[in-house]
Amino acid sequence: MLRSILIYGLINSIILALTAIGFSLTYGISRVANFAHGALYVLAGFAAWVLFYRLGLNYYLALFLAVVMVALIGAALYRFALIRVRGMPISEIIVTFALGTALLELLRFFGLFGSNYGLPPLRRATLQLSGVPVDFQRVAVVVIGVVLIAALWLFTHYTKVGLAFRAIAQDEQAAMMVGIDPDRMATLSLGLGSALAAIAAVVLLPLGYIAAESGTNILVYAIAVCILGGLESPAGVIVASLLIGYAQILSVAYFGPHYQMIVALLAILVTLVFRPSGLFGRQKELEERV
Amino acid sequence: MQTKSIGVVSWLVAFLALSVAASSGLAGMLLAVEEINAKGGVEVGGARRPLKLEVLDTRDLEPGVPLSEALLVVEKLVLERKADVLMGGPVRSEAAMAAMDLIAKYRKVSILTTGALTPAYHRRVAENYAKYKYLFRITSEAGQLAKEAIDLFESIRQANGFDRIFIMVQDVAHARAIAGLVGKGLEQKGWTVLGSEVYPTGALDYSTGLLKARDQKAQILFVWMDHPETAILVKQWSDLKIPVLPVAGISSAVEQPGAWASTGGAVAYWLACPANAGNAPSNATPLTMKFYKAYTDRWLVEPEGYGTSSSYTGVYVLADAIKRAGSVDADRLVAALEKTDTTGVYGRVRFDPKSHQVIPSYDPKEGAVSTWFQWQDRKRVVVFPKAIATGKIQIPPGLTPSKGKD
Repeated sequence: MLRSILIYGLINSIILALTAIGFSLTYGISRVANFAHGALYVLAGFAAWVLFYRLGLNYYLALFLAVVMVALIGAALYRFALIRVRGMPISEIIVTFALGTALLELLRFFGLFGSNYGLPPLRRATLQLSGVPVDFQRVAVVVIGVVLIAALWLFTHYTKVGLAFRAIAQDEQAAMMVGIDPDRMATLSLGLGSALAAIAAVVLLPLGYIAAESGTNILVYAIAVCILGGLESPAGVIVASLLIGYAQILSVAYFGPHYQMIVALLAILVTLVFRPSGLFGRQKELEERV
Repeated sequence: MQTKSIGVVSWLVAFLALSVAASSGLAGMLLAVEEINAKGGVEVGGARRPLKLEVLDTRDLEPGVPLSEALLVVEKLVLERKADVLMGGPVRSEAAMAAMDLIAKYRKVSILTTGALTPAYHRRVAENYAKYKYLFRITSEAGQLAKEAIDLFESIRQANGFDRIFIMVQDVAHARAIAGLVGKGLEQKGWTVLGSEVYPTGALDYSTGLLKARDQKAQILFVWMDHPETAILVKQWSDLKIPVLPVAGISSAVEQPGAWASTGGAVAYWLACPANAGNAPSNATPLTMKFYKAYTDRWLVEPEGYGTSSSYTGVYVLADAIKRAGSVDADRLVAALEKTDTTGVYGRVRFDPKSHQVIPSYDPKEGAVSTWFQWQDRKRVVVFPKAIATGKIQIPPGLTPSKGKD
């Protein structure tokens, strides 16, 4: 039991990290809480399904194009909608939430519900890890998740755009003084955050199915992880994913599966009461000190 | 020509959705309405009048069971769409129970044709007949399905010697009721119930429960979940090669004809119960395959699962009752429905006069017959009850029967 908890806890944690990292990155750079995150996740899965099954494209090409398409939609979301309400957090939330809901309802209208739509796994095989059976796709999720997080760290530390992202995140006005365009960075951050949501979708959806209903779940998990870890902190996302991921698996193993949903929501509640900035966030640091 | 409206209370989606599968009950009902209207409609007082279907979506199967939305739809059908009769749902037991008072208040005849499996529904009708006499249910209920599950497991024990079971159900009223009834019933018959786990609607991972079942050497995995996430459980069972015979009750992810394709064949060996006969191919009555063929021709897919044949039959039963009552007046219609005695797609259809629950039986000549099938080589093969079975249960690899144990 212990070995399966350790292995499936890690898998669950990486799944949570993948769902949340895009939301966190976007907020960290542009300060936009993208409530269309879940809808973009579902859209990516549906786009990949259409490209693969309906248009007959190569599977990997279909996944790649779905990610690119959703990245462009994310960037357009900022360029054509959010830019008009920039700096008004409530309006930003309303805009992204409304667009996300409209997108999900549209997909639902066109039949994307139930368990009829699925993406095939990268490979149908079962591996034995210390005597615990794990399917190949879940192993791939862990590998892709770790590689993606490492790539993001390298990107934000060793590329011009990545460094500009961090500059904007640290001090927008100072960044502007050295010639960094905040709107361009915000557009790129929405595009990259959406691409990350899409990557999460094409990696995770083969584990189950594609349905409009899952968009809300993904958003709730992303928010739970980001609030616990700190909205703008990539390190916080990783730590919070591990905490919630293992807490969920432990609650399933020892208390009953119906407590697993409560764990994520409880994390939001407890964090907001005792440490509103989250474990690694600095958003309300001053208030907390006072 | 004047038309009569039948309000369909609950469907997972409106008919305009591209996927007919999740709205299979509605598709069954539309087929029946089309067939009846093609013959001129329902005969009332010497004249024939067509049926008109108003469709609204209560969305009560979604996570969180949004009851207020479901109740709003019921009220909208009655007050705004002026429906004479309500059919279909609400689908989720919690929503159907909540809607009972509302329907009774407006004195509208309601025939549940899909979902709402809780035994509390017909019990409440029996306890307060004067108030709830307008409410009927033409499909099965959790108590009957639990009895059938126990009888099925007993037949599996006799054939294979299995007596160790692990239960996984969804956190909704009818599924919890089924888990309790089946677990208790099997323990009384000497079975070992290794565990009974309740999963929230929308749960995305079932590995811990599956590994528990494996470690405790379960021989049967009993699953009762109607949320689409069951597809994840099916795939995990297959990927993790858990050596148990998986038996799902009502489960859209298992019972639909597209399940083999959407799970990449992972659904092989799974049993499921789409409640009434006719939702999988069999010869329960002469009408069963006639309906099966008509549905397949009309919608280019086989009857998809739970609620399909009962929704189809429900319209015919209503048409027959309207004809005998000569009106859609609620009290006259109730009296006519109580006297219903006809043969439908899944056997003889009669309602219990006190609870208004359709009378079940293992013999289609005596009552409404359920169907339990197993996925065998891309096909849904009916394996229980014996009277309508078209094949025998196959045991998945890795699980060894011990015949003669009992």
